[in-house]
Amino acid sequence: MTGELPPGLALQKVDERIMTLNVGPQHPGSGHMRIIVQIDGDYIVACDPDPGYVHRGEEKMAEYRNYITNIPHLERPVIHDSCNVLYPYVLGVEELVGIEVPERAKYVRVIASELNRCIYTMYWLAIYGIFLGHSTMFMWPAGDRELLIDLMEKMTGARVTHAHFVPGGVRNDLPPNFEDVCLRQVNYFEKRIKEYSAVFYDNPILIARTKDTGILSREDAIRLGTTGSVLRASGVDYDLRKKEPYDVYEELDVHTNVMKEGDSYARSKVPWLDMMESCNIIRQALQKMPKSGSVRTKLKPNPKGKGLDSVYKRVESGRGSLGCYIVSDGKTEPYRLKMSVGSFRNLIALPYLLKGEKLGNMPSVYWSLNYWPVEADR
Amino acid sequence: MGTATGIIRALNSGIKHIAIKRFTLRYPEEKLKFVGDGYQFDPSTGVGIAGLKGRHMLFHDHCTGCQLCSIACEGVAEAIAMVKVPDQQKQNKKSIMPQIDYGKCVFCGLCVDACPFYALYMTNDYELSSFSKEGLIYTPAQLQVKPYVAQDSEIQITSRGATHG
Repeated sequence: MTGELPPGLALQKVDERIMTLNVGPQHPGSGHMRIIVQIDGDYIVACDPDPGYVHRGEEKMAEYRNYITNIPHLERPVIHDSCNVLYPYVLGVEELVGIEVPERAKYVRVIASELNRCIYTMYWLAIYGIFLGHSTMFMWPAGDRELLIDLMEKMTGARVTHAHFVPGGVRNDLPPNFEDVCLRQVNYFEKRIKEYSAVFYDNPILIARTKDTGILSREDAIRLGTTGSVLRASGVDYDLRKKEPYDVYEELDVHTNVMKEGDSYARSKVPWLDMMESCNIIRQALQKMPKSGSVRTKLKPNPKGKGLDSVYKRVESGRGSLGCYIVSDGKTEPYRLKMSVGSFRNLIALPYLLKGEKLGNMPSVYWSLNYWPVEADR
Repeated sequence: MGTATGIIRALNSGIKHIAIKRFTLRYPEEKLKFVGDGYQFDPSTGVGIAGLKGRHMLFHDHCTGCQLCSIACEGVAEAIAMVKVPDQQKQNKKSIMPQIDYGKCVFCGLCVDACPFYALYMTNDYELSSFSKEGLIYTPAQLQVKPYVAQDSEIQITSRGATHG
């Protein structure tokens, strides 16, 4: 070949010992993303996560739709956690348009979002189990998740992607006799997830695989800007439900679960503890909820923002802080919508955690970050 | 706790499941029970009535052909098209009624919220599969038919675990 190759095509000089390995984007163990790993023997030298394969342009799409028709497509990034994904958007639009939410609707929202958090965490836990080759831990959460999906179906009319929250409250009232059914199934669900400790969390094989792998220290967790269960597993007591309570969370007794270790084991255990806390919150909310009353403030079909205005709201989702920044210029569509998601912030920690680890530990470290590829790409 | 004790505990926890009832729903033979008759909306109060968001049902005597459902769907799925009603059927002022393409519909139910005349509801029918794309397009005459949906099992929680009884 004559002449010089263009810079992009020129071969890079590499160390003979180092091999570059692409994990993904079609690998079942990575989700819709790629992790470029450089390995020396069995040890990871460097790692470069490469997200962006499922980018759908949610933020740009939102600029062409009005405040109501934005609802179905904005919950698509995480269909298992669709109520929580929609929560900051709905809170923001309420402030932009200037409407009050009935008291009962606030409690219904809290119940729906806590049920959704459990549904998401169960799905995440099932995949974490199968990543580690633990088939029982795949089957049990996938089956027990059905208890809560059934509740959401009764409540909202859809098993996933509920489109339940709207500015001004929720779409429909609870079905008759829902409180009893909810309490019964949530109690049984809590009993079931407690059984996971013997088969998974106290299992010496799991402990041997996940303990002391991918340690994220308290300082690094704060410096890298991680959120949610990753931050709480590193010993930082930070939960938006407690620090910046939205809707009725300040009237409920929210307990946060913090672990000091900061390794994969702690990161996988904190969401499980959070599920039990969610069950507590649901029980409290069912008890304190007003037994009757409206659940939706009437709103014009095509609401407008009040002139040039912007609002930023954030909630605690299953994957950490989830924020929504909306700019309005007084029209029926938002001028700009920005979603700041927990998944992307947690992914930033991955290169620091994998350095020096064995390649076999990569799935357990990667999935313990509570990362959802579709949400990170938006 | 030692390694051996831990493994025995884990195995024991699995063995206990032999006595627990099966939770799986045997789908085509038994079908889930839903609350109510599908998602409905009351325009006078502005609040919906809980129910499954399945296939739509159109009440021809209420529909005025105002196109509000079609406009509501514009930014969501563009599944609703207003079509001319054949002469032998019941007419409204504009003689147009919604036709829904279930290949595009996302079952969000915002069209039901938009209808001010109690003309469009959703039903419990969720088995909409078809061999052709044309089979998924439901004309106003097809949407008028109330579906029959078998509903026989519900989650039951007993001392021997949960089951779809």
